[in-house]
Amino acid sequence: MWFDLDGLPVCFPYDAIYPEQHEYMGELKRALDARGHALLEMPTGTGKTAALISLITSYALANPSRPLRLFYCTRTVHEMEKTLAELRLLFSHLPPADACRLLALGLSSRKNLCVHPQVSASGAVDTGCRRLTASWVCEKAAYDRESATPLCDYFETFDAAARKGDLALYIQPGVYTLADLRSLGRERRICPYFLARHMVKHANVVVYSYQYLLDPRVASIVSSEMQKDCVVVFDEVHNIDNVCIEALSVSIRKQTIQGAKGNLRHISQQIDRFKATDASRLNAEYRRLVDGLAQRGNLPISDAWLANLALPDDILKEAVPGNIRKAEHFLTVLWRLVRNLDERVDTENVVNERPVSFATSIYSLAGIETTTLRFLYDRLQSLLLTLEITDTDEFMHIQKICDFATLIGTYKRGFSIIIEPYDDRMPDIRDPVIQLSCHDASLAIQPVFNRFQTVVITSGTLSPIDLYPRLLNFNPVISRSFTMSLTRDCICPMVLTRGSDQLPVSTKFDMRSDPGVVRNYGRLLLEMASAVPDGIVCFFVSYSYMDGIVSSWNDMGILQEIMQHKLVFIETPDVVETTLALDNYRKACDCGRGAVFFSVARGKVVEGIDFNRHYGRLVIMFGVPFQYTLSKLEYLRETSQIQEGDFLTFDALRQAAQCVGRVIRSKADYGMMIFADKRYSRHDKRSKLPGWIRSHLHDAHLNLSTDMALHTAREFLRRMAQPYDKAGSSGQTEENLQDKARDAMEM
Amino acid sequence: MYGVGGGGGGFNASSTASGRRRNQEEDEEDDEEETGDGRVLEAWERAYADDRSWEALQEDESGLLRPIDTKNLVHSQYRRRLLLRSAAAAVRIQKGLIRYLYIVIDLSRAASEMDYRPSRMAVVAKCAEAFIREFFDQNPLSHVGLVTIKDGISHRLTDIGGSPESQIKALMGKLECSGDSSLQNALELIHGYLNQIPSYGHKEVLILYSALNTCDPGDVMETVEKCKKSKIRCSVIGLAAEIFICKHLCEETGGSYTVALDESHFKELLLEHAPPPPAIAEYAAANLIKMGFPQRGAEDLISICSCHKKIKSGAEGYICPRCKVNVCELPTECRTCGLTLVSSPHLARSYHHLFPVAPFDEVTFKLGQKGGQNCYGCQQSLINSDSQSNLHVRCPKCNQHFCFDCDIYIHESLHNCPGCESQRSFSS
Repeated sequence: MWFDLDGLPVCFPYDAIYPEQHEYMGELKRALDARGHALLEMPTGTGKTAALISLITSYALANPSRPLRLFYCTRTVHEMEKTLAELRLLFSHLPPADACRLLALGLSSRKNLCVHPQVSASGAVDTGCRRLTASWVCEKAAYDRESATPLCDYFETFDAAARKGDLALYIQPGVYTLADLRSLGRERRICPYFLARHMVKHANVVVYSYQYLLDPRVASIVSSEMQKDCVVVFDEVHNIDNVCIEALSVSIRKQTIQGAKGNLRHISQQIDRFKATDASRLNAEYRRLVDGLAQRGNLPISDAWLANLALPDDILKEAVPGNIRKAEHFLTVLWRLVRNLDERVDTENVVNERPVSFATSIYSLAGIETTTLRFLYDRLQSLLLTLEITDTDEFMHIQKICDFATLIGTYKRGFSIIIEPYDDRMPDIRDPVIQLSCHDASLAIQPVFNRFQTVVITSGTLSPIDLYPRLLNFNPVISRSFTMSLTRDCICPMVLTRGSDQLPVSTKFDMRSDPGVVRNYGRLLLEMASAVPDGIVCFFVSYSYMDGIVSSWNDMGILQEIMQHKLVFIETPDVVETTLALDNYRKACDCGRGAVFFSVARGKVVEGIDFNRHYGRLVIMFGVPFQYTLSKLEYLRETSQIQEGDFLTFDALRQAAQCVGRVIRSKADYGMMIFADKRYSRHDKRSKLPGWIRSHLHDAHLNLSTDMALHTAREFLRRMAQPYDKAGSSGQTEENLQDKARDAMEM
Repeated sequence: MYGVGGGGGGFNASSTASGRRRNQEEDEEDDEEETGDGRVLEAWERAYADDRSWEALQEDESGLLRPIDTKNLVHSQYRRRLLLRSAAAAVRIQKGLIRYLYIVIDLSRAASEMDYRPSRMAVVAKCAEAFIREFFDQNPLSHVGLVTIKDGISHRLTDIGGSPESQIKALMGKLECSGDSSLQNALELIHGYLNQIPSYGHKEVLILYSALNTCDPGDVMETVEKCKKSKIRCSVIGLAAEIFICKHLCEETGGSYTVALDESHFKELLLEHAPPPPAIAEYAAANLIKMGFPQRGAEDLISICSCHKKIKSGAEGYICPRCKVNVCELPTECRTCGLTLVSSPHLARSYHHLFPVAPFDEVTFKLGQKGGQNCYGCQQSLINSDSQSNLHVRCPKCNQHFCFDCDIYIHESLHNCPGCESQRSFSS
């Protein structure tokens, strides 16, 4: 349908629009008009994606001066496919004249796009691909044809077309999902990965993982071609600050150091070999480095390895210091650094240091200057290219160390280095680790905000919305939270503060090991297991707490009683085990046996795995998932004026909301959420929950005991099982909107 | 806050307020600590689980509480059901009149729960009894059998047969529950029995499910597929909440899945299964069924009945027209020669499902309107003394007016409109 939004004709691919989508579009339009950033919270299942893309597309069509350039960043490949499907639907509703000019495609890694029969079947696609497509391999094959160097036919077609400049013939305007790209590649015998990467420059809409923009190592390869007037959308990024921080955090274990030593030995052998056979290459590299890093551009594009980190511009213009220009000299510097780290890691007590003091100690012990540290990463890349090394995975260890060194050399603030001799979970086994942890989320995302005029950050849970601008250090022109309009009350959040014996329950440090609390939590789960059908998901505050409470339940016999109603599955830190557990959990839900899944609030399951429909009729959040990170809190207080308490509560409640939000992914779905901790009933905690949960949290459900919660749950489940009018009255059709607009005019 | 309620029965808002004032100095922790003094439930807490007397009250326009006007309510409920049914009947659908229905009653642990009064099990049994009677009333040519699930095993309580009394007796004698419930076992058992019945019969299962899970020995999905293949229509009425596997089962086999809110809703849902469902397309081909219409035995004939092996005088039983054996009840299948025995009124009664009386239109009575002051059925005046509810109904064909009671009577029991019938006799 077409409708008019403040003078902008908007094409919306559905017959009815929810009121919140209409408002959402209105806010988005204002942000585009103002050419500023926006921060928008709207619950999952309300058609965020459809609203976003249809507004941005319509906006671009209406303003020919600002052509459509949209970069849509999603979290998973699955979400990417869903977004592309929405785009296809939208394009089919556009006027043919407009639609036939637009190109939209998804971009993913080689692993998801490779169509080479042998390489795609093998485990290491990246390495396999480079072995066939690196420029020196191609040159070699071209140089002597008799030696029969294996090449990738698909890449050769691409290369030939790129040289002729007629790549556009291969890809017609339209919407290309990953599967479409693959089948196109097979049909025309052209490499879909390189084709997609090339077409990013010309595409109107690109959908990819947000790592491509945030991780500076990847960003500069893929995203360097974007212009200022692009619109960048980050979808489902409630924990964007954590992603930014992870992108700039490095941890080095003993194995990494051992691996790095092996890498260095390998490299020195390679250098010796090259010296004997092809010394000119090394000399050429040396000359290039004398000219400075900025001229690196003369390397062929297909060989771009992981490029430089988020380095300030002035560093890029600086020349590489003299003492690492020669390959041998560089190698000795690396040896000194690795040995130094090896010594540092062998410590008996926990050490917490700032980058500046760490760099100073490296200077005094290993004699490497801070400026030299800064260039190690780039220098290594350059060397690896010169040595024609294709196997990136093997050299991961030394790359990690150089990465670490470069970060220390570059940033003086916002980081801390922590050396721990033992792991928390196994305090008896020595497992030393050097962690470089980033505290400032804005470091990674700042370039994005600076480069693009409109960045839209949107998710189901962004509350409290005023904290994000401070964490990420930007000024949104629009920040708003929308609620969901529902045909029925399909979510039922409850705050459980007491067990059935009226004793308060909490995971507060002084109470968590109290047998009464443990028993009350157990009884709660047991009662719920007998009253709720199919799947129940439980989230605990940490692995250690989960281990403790599950074993006490086992001793008390509660676990055995739960097993009479439902099967029990547990998340472990091991990914394979967890995947298996999840599969079996789903199976148990499907066949009617019923199942409980124990998970951890900050584990892997909570990010990206949905427990919608019968896979999660109830989530119980045991306790408040606080995470104390002392040095980060100090940093935040100093730089962003965010109180420790505020940030802790914000972080914990955001995580809790994320956990409980897993159960409901659409308006037709229904689910219950129990916050089992007396602290949730306080206003300061409750008010930080997202609006769509808060609006369904009735006063009567704020201070429940187990039996009252059970009664509420039974009522709710019966009510939800009744047939209801799916079409509902919450959607508005074209006529409604026109009527409304007319009413507004008359008023 | 909760601890201070001990001040006697006169608990109200002011006593909480004073309690809070007393506790003002103490911090929040202590306040909550007091909740743990292990009393018996107070009145306001008990009410959560008790009977809800307030639900029978309704607020009128002036804010006064009145008992709900049951007559109007019952009628409006009935009308809703009628309209729903007639909407389906508007397109003339072939109905399966000869039904072979197994009622599965879940007697697992969950059936002993007390959220229905006195227990789920008792409510299910009571409603099942009413259902069986209603079922035979509406489907005189059909057969019912009972199956129970208990301790994870399903057990056939009664053979599939035509007599309501024996079924009800068997059910009432067996009411105790324990153990898990198994959907697969029940379906497998019934699948075995229903596979033997002749092809003209409609195979149906109605499961009254209390439990929220099913402990199966194998893959229940395969059993669902098997039922689908054998054209067994499975319907489930849940007592607690929606279960995925039940929904899946019903969707696959073309049955209906509903969940009861409370006892009266449960009964309503159950009775919805009494009228015959639309026939499955595969059976649409007409086919002939051999039936016998037995005579009532002569007064002075003394014979042994084939069903109970007892000596009976002929007047109590019927004689099979083919093999002359004595049977006690109709409809049934002759024990000796296997002939389906029915009486002609049974056939006639089944007939109304195919040609239902059209639903009457609701009309409000306008003062000064001529004629139609009295109900055509019972001759009672339609103008109510309290003038509040002068609502009544009119037959769309013969335009005669009827009162609510007659409306229900005509559609539920009589299945003929007196107005239309009398017009027909005048014209002929």
